[in-house]
Amino acid sequence: MSKRIAKKVLLIGWDAADWKIINPLLDSGQMPTLEKFINEGVMGNIATLDPPLSPMLWTSIATSKRAYQHGILGFTEPDQETGGIRPILGSSRKVKAIWNILNQHDIKSNVIGWWPTHPAEPIDGVMVSNFYQKAVNNIDKPWPMMPGTVHPERLSETLAALRIHPQELTPAHILPFVPDAPKIDQEKDKRLTILSKIIADCSSIHAAATYVMENEEWEFMAVYFDAIDHFCHAFMKFYPPQINGVPDDLFNMYKYVISSGYKYHDMMLERLLQLAGPDTTVIIMSDHGFHSDHLRPLSLPKEPAAPALEHRPYGILCMKGPGIKKDERIYGATLLDITPTLLTLFGLPVAEDMEGNVLVQAFEEEIELDRIPSWELIPGNSGMHSKSHATDAASNAEIMQQLIDLGYIEKPDENKEKAIKQSVDEAQYNLARAYIDGKKNQEALPILEKLWEENPDQSRFALRLATCYQSLHRLADCRKVIEKLKETEKDKPEQTSILVIEGNILLGENKPKQALEAFKKAEEKAQNFPNLFLQIGRCYLQLKQWDDAIRSFNKALSMDKDNAHCYHGLAMAHLKKGEFNEAVDQALTAVGLLYHIPFAHYHLGEALAGLKEYAQAAQAFEVCLSMAPNVGKARKWLIDIYENHLPQPDNAKKHRDILADNTRTTIIVVSGLPRSGTSMMMQMLEKGGMEIFSDQVREADENNPKGFYEHEAVKRIARDKTWLKDVGKKVVKIVSPLVFHLPPRFHYKIIFMVRDVEEVLASQHKMLERSGKLKPDTYKMGLDEAYRKNLDQFKQWVEKNPNTEVLYVSYTETIQNPTVEIERINEFLGEGLNTTEMLSALDKELYRNKKQTVN
Amino acid sequence: MKPSENNKQDQIEIKTKTGELFNVPVEGSLGLLALGYVGLIAWRKKRKEVKLANGL
Repeated sequence: MSKRIAKKVLLIGWDAADWKIINPLLDSGQMPTLEKFINEGVMGNIATLDPPLSPMLWTSIATSKRAYQHGILGFTEPDQETGGIRPILGSSRKVKAIWNILNQHDIKSNVIGWWPTHPAEPIDGVMVSNFYQKAVNNIDKPWPMMPGTVHPERLSETLAALRIHPQELTPAHILPFVPDAPKIDQEKDKRLTILSKIIADCSSIHAAATYVMENEEWEFMAVYFDAIDHFCHAFMKFYPPQINGVPDDLFNMYKYVISSGYKYHDMMLERLLQLAGPDTTVIIMSDHGFHSDHLRPLSLPKEPAAPALEHRPYGILCMKGPGIKKDERIYGATLLDITPTLLTLFGLPVAEDMEGNVLVQAFEEEIELDRIPSWELIPGNSGMHSKSHATDAASNAEIMQQLIDLGYIEKPDENKEKAIKQSVDEAQYNLARAYIDGKKNQEALPILEKLWEENPDQSRFALRLATCYQSLHRLADCRKVIEKLKETEKDKPEQTSILVIEGNILLGENKPKQALEAFKKAEEKAQNFPNLFLQIGRCYLQLKQWDDAIRSFNKALSMDKDNAHCYHGLAMAHLKKGEFNEAVDQALTAVGLLYHIPFAHYHLGEALAGLKEYAQAAQAFEVCLSMAPNVGKARKWLIDIYENHLPQPDNAKKHRDILADNTRTTIIVVSGLPRSGTSMMMQMLEKGGMEIFSDQVREADENNPKGFYEHEAVKRIARDKTWLKDVGKKVVKIVSPLVFHLPPRFHYKIIFMVRDVEEVLASQHKMLERSGKLKPDTYKMGLDEAYRKNLDQFKQWVEKNPNTEVLYVSYTETIQNPTVEIERINEFLGEGLNTTEMLSALDKELYRNKKQTVN
Repeated sequence: MKPSENNKQDQIEIKTKTGELFNVPVEGSLGLLALGYVGLIAWRKKRKEVKLANGL
């Protein structure tokens, strides 16, 4: 077991807290507690997950697992007892949370208000569920607490008395938020009621937390406040600067609510830190940010969870305590990193089935990390529920109403069956999005296909499905969805998204000119769309129009100045223009915003090398390789720098050895479905100067007039892999159904030929006809589906095998636009090929089974 | 300032940073709520006292 670093840990969750709002308050001394905290610890952005819905996110924070593992799929779920729907319960969580793991190690936890934790779990400590603070009736009526709200039961009465009813508040509580509140006609404007509810709710949580901290033993304490998110959803439109369309009187009335909300949290923080004591390690974090500038959406689409569109993808993270660095920034954190970091603080191992990493950069000393396969396999009392619990209908109704008021869910249909169907569909949609976010497109696909089939009027399902097909390189299927959407969504705002997807497909196919056309059309329909200009910039980069690229990236940044990919694009364009100083500045900004972009570090290194700042350049290339060890270009740069510019021959040797080792053990494979252009690619590579691993047993014929470039050994790869060591630096052709037999001990660079499955089948059919193995006009049924499945499996296999690098090459594009494709192939293989000779290998006459619809 | 059980909640007092007894305003304040349960109890106690004093 590794060393325990923290005596006690306090984790404070501020839903939706955002540096963009906090920074000006810090600068003007209006959040003094947080400012002192930051100066004594580390701070940074924390990246959210998709979908950015709080019950799912806070569960991911507490488990280091995405929704497809932890099982919390949204705001509501079917209620077996009433036959209707209810707010999501903590008992629906399928995996252990941090407090359950700590429970198994006799570490006392107190958990207050965490979403979703109702009914409270029987842990060795205190749990106050997220149903605790919601007032149901008027103040003159009884306010019973729902059974299961507090564990242990002995604290129920005490904590029930610490809840604050919204109607208990006085002008003294409201005026700091709305100084002119007495002027409001509350018959017409109900916003003060909303405000009172938010203040009362978070004050109740704070009262319970402070009581438990002071009166109960604990080593781990987690407190969750939803108020910042709720303030923002209700009042962000009044936050300065004034948005067009917001009347002056309303703006002036409510313009202080957001900043006052943050200041109130700073005041509560002071008390929490006081009670925690100086020896406690404290983490303050949010699950996402909140748009507070011109990116505030002017209107929201009429769909469930639309308010999540107001969320910004970066939240806040700060941490201080014994062993934590002081006054430093940390980079690249995600919500999934919190639980592994907490386990490390308590000296417990991180599980391999957790998706996050320990935030090692926050620690003063190097951390020794222990790992176990899974905490789910560890027996012992974790304090989890053994069965689901009944809930109280009245409180359910109140919580459901709040979710409706916030816009997170639509008013459930009075028809219970319909309401359940809507809830289940929403959960399935969220599950699919979580799969996509976890790069598991294959798992998302059947869910989205079913959702769209059952709800053809819901274009959001179709748009997500199209993107999913695109990620899986099922471009024909993607286009089918797009074409159908074009018809059904005519003259609707969805047309912009459709054009963007079309542009993305074309850009992925290396057709920057056509992609640009699609993006420009999208631009005509929607001006305020930063990602559109990012993609336009990328088109210009591919077209080598550096100035146009710079203009586009800057335009995107004028809309969203925190887009790291735009700064990276700018760095690349300036680098190509030889403007190294500008390139360094832009690359530094990119990695400052989003650390995990390996190629931004690479381009930073190139720009620094251009300025002859070799020590810093070496550092940038090293960071790039720490994230993406197979970027051979970075390693070559390092060898050059360590040998010729810095006196570090040992480092140069280290990288030279790794490079040699990689080269020695890297096998270059050409793959794809049979008849997808693999032989053509082999011929091109041969012309380009590569040696071919072929025994020439299979001779050229009418089907492949220039030869098959195959080796008999490949056919027996399932039972005999010994020949792979003989491939050396040659290139070997392995059709895609056999690729899965490649053993993990080698590193592979695979050029994967992509060709429309119908064309592949037509070509195979002709080949079999010619050889007499298939009678004319007979067809093998089901092959197209099997082939599509094979392509999906290949994609999945690649995702699971980090020793594999893939370059997808379009057969059609290689025939029609060979220069660009050859350049990509040359870059992929290390730029040692004779590209002119490669071009001479192409014979357009061989493109005999062209599908009519193919461009 | 530190009640460990409910029946001791009446003993709660709030002092300023210089150690003087803080006169809790009957209308409450955000500052009191930010103190957590201690501030809440002190405020409710004050309300009760004022009510009694006013014969309500």
